[in-house]
Amino acid sequence: MNFYKKWFWPLVMPSLLLFTMVILYPFIMGLVNSFLAWRGTYYFDPDTGTRATSMFKSFVGFANYKEAFQDKRFISALVYTVKYTFIAVIFVNIAALALALMVTTITKRSGLYRTVFFLPNMLGGLALGFIWQFIFQIIFTDILFSPDALYLPFLRYMTQNSNKALFALAMLSTWQYAGYMMIIYVAGLNTISADYYEAASIDGATYWYSFRKITIPMLMPSFTIVFFMTLANSFKLLDQNVALTDGEFGTRLLAMQILRTVKDTSPPNYGKAQAQAVIFFILVAVITLTQVAITKKKELEM
Amino acid sequence: MKKSLIVLLVLLLAFSATLFAQGSAEADKGYDIYVYNSKGENAAQFAAMCAAYEAETGVRVKNFSIGSGQDHMETLRSEMNSRNKPSIFSIQGIKELAEWSQGGFALDLNTVTTGDFGKMATALPQGLRLTSDGKTSYGIPYNVEGYGFIVDRDMLAEIFNPIPVDAVLAEIKAASYEEWAALVKAIDAWIASPKAMEVKLNGNTHKLAARKGPLSSKLNGVFAVMGAEKWTYGDHFINVALNAVFANDIEANQADTAKIQSLKGAFLAYAEALDLKTSYLAGARGKATRGQDFVSSANFGYDQAVQIFADSKAVFFKQGNWAFGNIEGVNKAQSARLEFVPVKMPYQSQDVKRTDGMTVAKLNSSIPVFVPNYYAVNAMVPKAEQQKAFDFLYWMNNSATGKKYIVEEFAFIPYNADPNTTTVPNSLGNSIIDYIASGNTLTAPYQGAPASWSGDVVGLRVMESYLTKRNWTKADYEAIANYAIEQWIALK
Repeated sequence: MNFYKKWFWPLVMPSLLLFTMVILYPFIMGLVNSFLAWRGTYYFDPDTGTRATSMFKSFVGFANYKEAFQDKRFISALVYTVKYTFIAVIFVNIAALALALMVTTITKRSGLYRTVFFLPNMLGGLALGFIWQFIFQIIFTDILFSPDALYLPFLRYMTQNSNKALFALAMLSTWQYAGYMMIIYVAGLNTISADYYEAASIDGATYWYSFRKITIPMLMPSFTIVFFMTLANSFKLLDQNVALTDGEFGTRLLAMQILRTVKDTSPPNYGKAQAQAVIFFILVAVITLTQVAITKKKELEM
Repeated sequence: MKKSLIVLLVLLLAFSATLFAQGSAEADKGYDIYVYNSKGENAAQFAAMCAAYEAETGVRVKNFSIGSGQDHMETLRSEMNSRNKPSIFSIQGIKELAEWSQGGFALDLNTVTTGDFGKMATALPQGLRLTSDGKTSYGIPYNVEGYGFIVDRDMLAEIFNPIPVDAVLAEIKAASYEEWAALVKAIDAWIASPKAMEVKLNGNTHKLAARKGPLSSKLNGVFAVMGAEKWTYGDHFINVALNAVFANDIEANQADTAKIQSLKGAFLAYAEALDLKTSYLAGARGKATRGQDFVSSANFGYDQAVQIFADSKAVFFKQGNWAFGNIEGVNKAQSARLEFVPVKMPYQSQDVKRTDGMTVAKLNSSIPVFVPNYYAVNAMVPKAEQQKAFDFLYWMNNSATGKKYIVEEFAFIPYNADPNTTTVPNSLGNSIIDYIASGNTLTAPYQGAPASWSGDVVGLRVMESYLTKRNWTKADYEAIANYAIEQWIALK
């Protein structure tokens, strides 16, 4: 222990330095830039209509934030992201819980199944998006659900319709995250002592009754973690969105909208994009801080 | 806690200090000039050219070419923010120029009047200059490009057998839109059952062949179209219509609301021409129609459409001479026989609002020829480096080695080529040079329209709401035209 106490600062310094350079400094600069008329490579002076001679001359106050909220595309991307988050959270939670229950009930090869269900999480977002684009465009539309085979019009052309794409993205997310969330639920299920179930079955409880009265209440901490993690992940979704539809047919999520804001203006309005990014950060921070507060409260109660 | 805060603040300060510290300005950067090339397709050849320049003159050229198909602006902006800014960089039109001229990065070449480069800059034709008001000049053109309907001469020869192909091509180029539409429908009927039917071209009657030949038996449709790529019908197809009102991109950039609303007739013509083009589609496995399959990138993306045309399944393919390499890669024999036919639209004479003598007949027999990309010199680098950049650009466009690279290795049409004497080693390039020599050229006003208007707004709406519809009505033409006009006004 003394070794770690003595060498605390040298050991911690590299990570701290990296954190400052890559996360803290860009964040502070970004916050500052959201109040300026930043154009990416220079600052714009709104009073003279030319390049600003110093950073401070291009101060525009809350104008960038006002523009961001008045931007129709930003608001529609925000609404679309909320709709997607709602669907994804439900799908992922149900899938993860079902998988966890399955994996803890079977006795043979449960380790193998756990690994297999977890594997999709290892793939990067872009690769995932392109794989599923192929699946939706060719396998679903032309092979599996075409008029010649099992005809299910809802599952065809899913990437070409704004509402169907919500479910397409949700399927993608479930495939990617269910395994990861399953691990959390498995850990939670393993903390429930078998005595409770034995006592319940002796008293004549059915499987569903003991599931409702024992499993679910005792899983609340895991559920809180999974719920908020899925919430934050869904809000931040970018790579999969770009790869699957590139925002066409009205399927632009919030992160992608921020990215494309600089392409829609000439000269590129980086100040406005930065303001959108700060709003985005506040939304995700609110979600995450709520999660931390609730789990802290639950921990004390346990 | 207080100690951690102090440490954090010290860290921040130390880091900011290193950021803002100015290194010695005279320190050797390891190169003499730094060229940023935003055309990814000729990356290897560009590097070879820079090495040849270094061998000849001893000037060290550091060059960077963006990956093909990637967004070059983000990388260029981070290079501009660094200490080693590019001495020469790319600007792709007046919308990109806005950022670089406002930031003071683009050097106005009108201020360079001495030396070889000064002469070259002064000699730039006014129509080829990169300027948003006509008084400045911010770059040296990479090349000139053009687009239209690409057609295989041998295919036309079989369809019109035994009439000589050159005669037929000349008639098609001069034909009116009504004759063109009739020709398209006739070829469509001919593909289904070939017989010697008559078509009128340029006022003269011609007969289609009585039976199919080896190439034409593979046909299953008239047009190869990339339904999934918004920029073909969003940018380039609508650009042809813009030429009815604007003479160049500067006029489009400065257009007021009244001028934009006068585009209504031209846009109606655009919608009708697009309807014609997408009603007679060729597909990979047989005749194709508009619908959800048509806009799927799995079926009608760039590569798929090139394949359809190169497999001789379609007669016409609207693309530019930049696609030559792609077609050559799939069907080398066919790529030597290609020529451009103009994109025709059903304009009325009152739709043409230009005052410089443009007529409907000229619009329908010309192809857009424009400069897609410019080399700009960075005004923020030291004067000595700027001079070296001038020398490099002069060498590239005037020396024997430089010109050889431009014409043969990059497959460009040089901007300073004499159209009456120049030939390039690719069929589409020579076709464009013929149009330049005869004066039948249009420009690219769409580059002066608001930033995302053509491809990402109009093109997107056409793709999502119209290319998935089987039948279009006159009301659809009206809707498309009105949408294009209101969005231009809204995005200005």
